[in-house]
Parts: sequence; structure tokens; C-alpha cells
Amino acid sequence: MDFRFTDEEEAFRKEVRDFFEKELPPDWPGVDPDMYHEDSFEEIHQVSQEMQRKLAAKGWLGLTWPKKYGGQEAPLWKQMILEEVLTYRGAPGYDAYSFLGGCGDLILEFGTEEQRQKFIPPMCRGEVKWATGMSEPNAGSDLANLQLRADLQGDYFILNGQKTWQSAAHHADYGLVYCRTDPEARKHRGISIIIVDYKSPGITMSRIVHMSELGAFNEMFYDNVKVPKENLLGELNGAWGLVMAALSHERTYGVQLIVNIKRDLDLLVQYCKETRVNGQPLAKNALIRNELADMAIQLEVARTLGYKLNWMALKGLNVITTANQMKILGGILTQKLAILGMQILGLYGQLGPAGGNWRQMDEKKDKWAKLGGRMKHLYLSTVCNTIAGGTTEVARNAIATMGLGLPREPRPEKK
Amino acid sequence: MDLSFSEEQEMLWKSARDFLANKCPKTMVREMEEDEKGYVPELWKEMADLGWIGLPFPEKYGGGGFSFLDLVVLLEEMGRACLPGPFISTVVLGGLPILEWGTEEQKQNILPQVCEGKAILTLALTEPSARYDAASIQIKATPEGDNYVISGTKLFVHDAHIADSIIVVARTAEKASPEEGITLFIVDGKSPGISTFVLRTIAGDKQCELTMDKVKVPKANILGKVDQGWGMIKKIVEWAALAKSAEMMGGAQQVLEMTIDYAKERVQFDRPIGSFQIIQHYLADMSIDVDSSRVSLHKAAWMLGEGIPCTKEISVIKGWISEAYRRVTAQAHQIHGAIGFTKDHDLELYFRRAKAGELFFGDADFHREIVAQQLGL
Repeated sequence: MDFRFTDEEEAFRKEVRDFFEKELPPDWPGVDPDMYHEDSFEEIHQVSQEMQRKLAAKGWLGLTWPKKYGGQEAPLWKQMILEEVLTYRGAPGYDAYSFLGGCGDLILEFGTEEQRQKFIPPMCRGEVKWATGMSEPNAGSDLANLQLRADLQGDYFILNGQKTWQSAAHHADYGLVYCRTDPEARKHRGISIIIVDYKSPGITMSRIVHMSELGAFNEMFYDNVKVPKENLLGELNGAWGLVMAALSHERTYGVQLIVNIKRDLDLLVQYCKETRVNGQPLAKNALIRNELADMAIQLEVARTLGYKLNWMALKGLNVITTANQMKILGGILTQKLAILGMQILGLYGQLGPAGGNWRQMDEKKDKWAKLGGRMKHLYLSTVCNTIAGGTTEVARNAIATMGLGLPREPRPEKK
Repeated sequence: MDLSFSEEQEMLWKSARDFLANKCPKTMVREMEEDEKGYVPELWKEMADLGWIGLPFPEKYGGGGFSFLDLVVLLEEMGRACLPGPFISTVVLGGLPILEWGTEEQKQNILPQVCEGKAILTLALTEPSARYDAASIQIKATPEGDNYVISGTKLFVHDAHIADSIIVVARTAEKASPEEGITLFIVDGKSPGISTFVLRTIAGDKQCELTMDKVKVPKANILGKVDQGWGMIKKIVEWAALAKSAEMMGGAQQVLEMTIDYAKERVQFDRPIGSFQIIQHYLADMSIDVDSSRVSLHKAAWMLGEGIPCTKEISVIKGWISEAYRRVTAQAHQIHGAIGFTKDHDLELYFRRAKAGELFFGDADFHREIVAQQLGL
């Protein structure tokens, strides 16, 4: 056993750090890996787009993918280091839905040669943004209940229906859309994934605003949207196997959440060292020391489990249990950190700009906000970390049934 | 022992619920978050006409002469409805201290105006240290002829921008203990030298920066005794914490009810999600938070009304409900899923108010410290 990184790994880590040191403004407070800031505010979106092109120029988009599609065929550990460093730095421009969200990996794994040739190289060049269309109003945790219809008519699928909680769809060029292609089959046997050009006629969308005032989600309506039949990903009616692959990609997201809030813990530590209350630094307050140390322990334990998850993935082991554990820890610990941050800031915690947008601080209204209103923002935005991309309850079910071998809950009798 | 409410209290309960359901729709609540004033003057007048604003004040000042427990009944319904406006500021932070410690002239000048809905009051206590302790009172009031002159900045002053009178807490003497040498002044909100602006807060309530630049206050406007204000502040903090606990109680109750309804209606996996054991356990836990809070709230309010010392009981309920209301709203979000955290859903209103309520006049840490002191630690 050896927990150290190799010299080569450390050298790459330094290279990535130096890159962001140079490319990001020193006062860049950091965006979250959910990309909600980048997708909500035009000026942050522009910075993100620019960084996406720079990342592409470094060859860091699609790092592990085959060279013939524009990738570098680099080992997976490199990508893991890249993701860790850029997440800790809060760097923008790494399209979560192409890379972390699994659209690219799914196309590479299940797509036809034509699909790979067409869709992967633009991702590696940083020219496109992707989204995933899963949830519907009546298909949340029960994803297999989705109703959006795709009917094959000649050379086209005709899509009709509705999707919701479509993160980033308003900026996306393409999406992997989960459609019902056989209404007669049992629920999860009649679903297909179709690659949809989001600029197609018949698609309309409206923005959903999160309580943190970020507008990163969309409701999408499909009215007779024509999609060439060659855009079917994988087998017709065979999406369910891909769903599991896609969700497990999304659940490695737990690692990103943990790395990201380590930055916030460091912010709080710094704040407590610098802030004096009635002559005494907050850092000397026994209660606060205890809480910060407890948070550090929880993040350290979770981060180390994250390293194990990465190692397991590198070895090609089954990660479904660990990935779900990480997803749950990531969601819960981000919320705990936000609660702690609010506790430490006290009355100041409630202040801050709309959507946590540090570029739109009002000189009066936000005059007294501490840490750019970051803790207020986290307090509101992290509510969705135990819900989006699969609720913690569904993740617990997966651990219990797939990991621990417990029997499934009995289904109600069909009427 | 009798834990039932009186017939009058039951009636107040019902009429408050009906009135607010009708007059305080969530569209109005959201508008007021964005509104500069933050309340609807016509509604304020109607509430005055119903006797709500005058509820705890004696009849001779135009009030109803009701108890703190009656006030709690009303505040619970206000919390359930997310009623925006300066009710706690005017009645609890401003009105009750004037009733308790004001001269007859001060009471005659201000309380009838309050009861009629014509005067809005508030209390300017916290400063940039953002704490509720005596050492944090740094602003000085200096005697000058028949006046005191006050300069400095107060923060997190609720409703200062619309207040007709502001009770300003200032230091009038440097003594060995920070608790000595503090005085309360009733300051005309329109005095020259006062400026305010509203801060952007998590709940869209109207908390202000209040700056005073050589504001002159006549000596006749001192509330209570010179240099002996801190004992009064301790009482006001208790009343404010208890009043806010009542408002939070009503919010928590509403969140529990709406989440039970949702769990019964929302179907996933061919059954209502409320039939899943994990959801049932979540709701059972929420009911423990809600039901346990209510009894302790009513006990503290009853003790206050009876004149029984209840410093500990008030800190018990505010310390408890500050975290209980947060847990209830967070769990409700988990049960509602994504729909609950959208800006259009009522639940997010309560989630943000739970946090604001937690911070108002002492969070759980603050009140645990008081309980520790009460234990003799």
C-alpha cells in the first residue's frame, strides 16, 4: 500500500495549479462544480466560455479520450488530478455535462462511429455545451415513469412532451434526452436515449429560478420536434442500462462537492483568524474551534473515501456503492458546511448579493456582506445537493440493495 | 394543570387565520420582499382596526389589554402566513418597553398612536460587532444642554427606514462593567442627522444600517433611568426572542402540514411517496420538532404573562426552535424534492425565514449560553 502520489502525478498537479494561477484573476472567488453561476449570469458565462477554450488548447478537455476523436489518451489519474485542482480553485469552463455528467463518456461507450466522429471532437475543442434531459414533472426519483414520447416516423423521431430541471439547457447545443419509444412495454423497457440538437424547431424552454435566485434550470417543451433517427444512442428501448451508467457518472460528483467546499472551509478558517470580536480573534473561541475541526474531520474522511473511489475506478472495480456513498456525503456535508458558515458569521450570514453573484454587489444593500455573501448563497444553493442527480434516498436504496444485498421493497399490487 | 386555550384565545386563533389567509396571499409576501417599505399600509390600518397592534397595551392607551400568551397566538398565525411588516418591531421592540418603563407623558404621546396604526416603532441595538452583549454597545450619547447628542452606526435595525420613533441604545458613561453606563433614548425617526438604508437579507425583511450624525435627543426622551439601560435590554431581548419563537412556531406548523399533504398527493413508483417508510420517518421526526416546540413556547409565554421569572424557559424555546424550525424546513425540502426549492414554491419562503428567525435576537449558541448561566455554570 502507498497513499503517496507519484512524482509524475505531483508534477501534473503543479502544472494545473500554475495554469490557473496564471489564467484566473487572483481575486477569483470560485464557481461551484454545478456550474449554476456560469449558467445564470451572462458575465460569468463569458469568462467560462473563454476558459473552456483555454482548457481545450491545453488538451485538458477529454483528456482520457481516444486521439482520433480529439482526446489525449492520457491515463485516468491525470483527469482526476485536473478535476481536483480545478474544482478546488473554483475554475469555470469545465463543462460538467460533457465531462462529469457523462454525455461524452456515454457517446464514446455506446455511440456509433458516426456519432463519435460528429460529437466528441467539438467537446474536446471546447466549442459546445451539453445537457441531459432526464426528469419530468412525474418522473423524478421514479425516472422510469418518464412520458416524453419519441415516435419513429420514416427517417425521424418525432418528440412530444416535457422535461424539467434541465440544468444549463439554455446554453446547451445538444442534450441526451430520455424518451419513451415503446409505450406498450413495461416502464423501464420502453425508453431510449436520443441525441437532440437543442436549437431544433419545436423546442421551447422557460427558466426556473432557484430560491438562491440562480436561474440555471429550465423547463423544456417538445412540440413535434424532428430528430434524425441516426441520433438514437445505443439500442432502441435499451436506455435503462445506460441510465445506470449515466447516474453512476453523475454520482462521482460527490467528490467534486467535497473538494469544492474544502475551499469554503479554508475561507472560514481564514475569516476566524482575521476577525476579532470584542478584542479576541474568533479563532480563539473554543466553540468555533471545535466546530471547524469537526468539519475538517468530516471533509477529510470524505475526501479520502473519494481517493479510494478514484482508485477503484482506475482499477476497473465496481464503484456503484462507493459512488453513492460519496454522493450522499457530498450533499450532506455541503449543507453542514453552509450551516456552520452561517453560524460563524452570525447576523452577517444573512447578507449577500442575489444568487451569490460577487460581480453584482450593491454598494449599499450588500455593503456589510462578509465573504461576498458566500455563506448565505451556500445555505440556499446546497439544498439541492441532496436532491439533484438522484436524491440521497434513492442513493441509499442503491447502496442497500446493490451494495449490501438487501431485498428490494415490495411493489404495490397493480390495480 | 390546564393546557387548553380560553374561548377568547380560540376565537383569536380562528379569526387571525381566516383574516390572514384572505389578506396576506403569498403573492403579496413576495412583493413585499422586493418592496422598499416592506409592508402594506392599508393592511396595517386594518390590523390596527381589528385591535391587533394594540393587543398587549392597556385600554387607556387604546389597546386591548391582552396577555403575552394572546400575543403569541396572533404571532403564530402571522408566522404561518409569512406576514411581512413591522409588527414585532412596533409592538415588542418599541411598544412594550415604552409601556414598561416610559413616563406617563411618553406613553400618552406614543402608545395611542401605535394602537391606531399611526406610529411605527423599532429598537436600534446591535452595532457592527453584530452581537447582543453589553460590551458591543459602543455608540456614545453625550449631554449637551437639554439634549444628548448621538453619533455612530447601528446595524441590523429592523424597519428603521419607516420608523416614526426609534429606541436607540447608547453608552452614557464608561464604567468598570460594560453592563453599566448604557441608556435608552426614544429618538424621533425624522430627526436631522439620521439616515438609513435597507440591507439585502436572506428573508427579504427590512433590516437597516442606521447612521446617526450628531443627532440631538431631548433629555425628556430618555426611556427609564440614565446609565441603567442594560437590565431593560435583557428584558427586551427576552420578549423579542419569545415573540420570534411564536412566529417561527406558526411557520413550522404550516410547513409540517403542507409537507404531509404533499407526501399524500405526490405519486412516484405507483404510490404516494408518503407510503414509503423513510418519508414517514422524516415526517414523524418533523412532528416531534413541531409538537415539542409548541408546548415549551406556550409555557414560556404563560409564565411571562403570569409574572413568573422565565429567563431560562425563553432561552430554552428560542434555542430549541432556532434549530428545530431549520430542521423542519430542510427536511420538508428533502420530501418535496426539486419543486420545493424553486422561487415560485411557498416552501422556500419558510426555509429563508427559518434562518432569519434563528438569527433574530439570539441564535441557538446565544441562548444555550444563557441556559448555561441559569444552570449556575
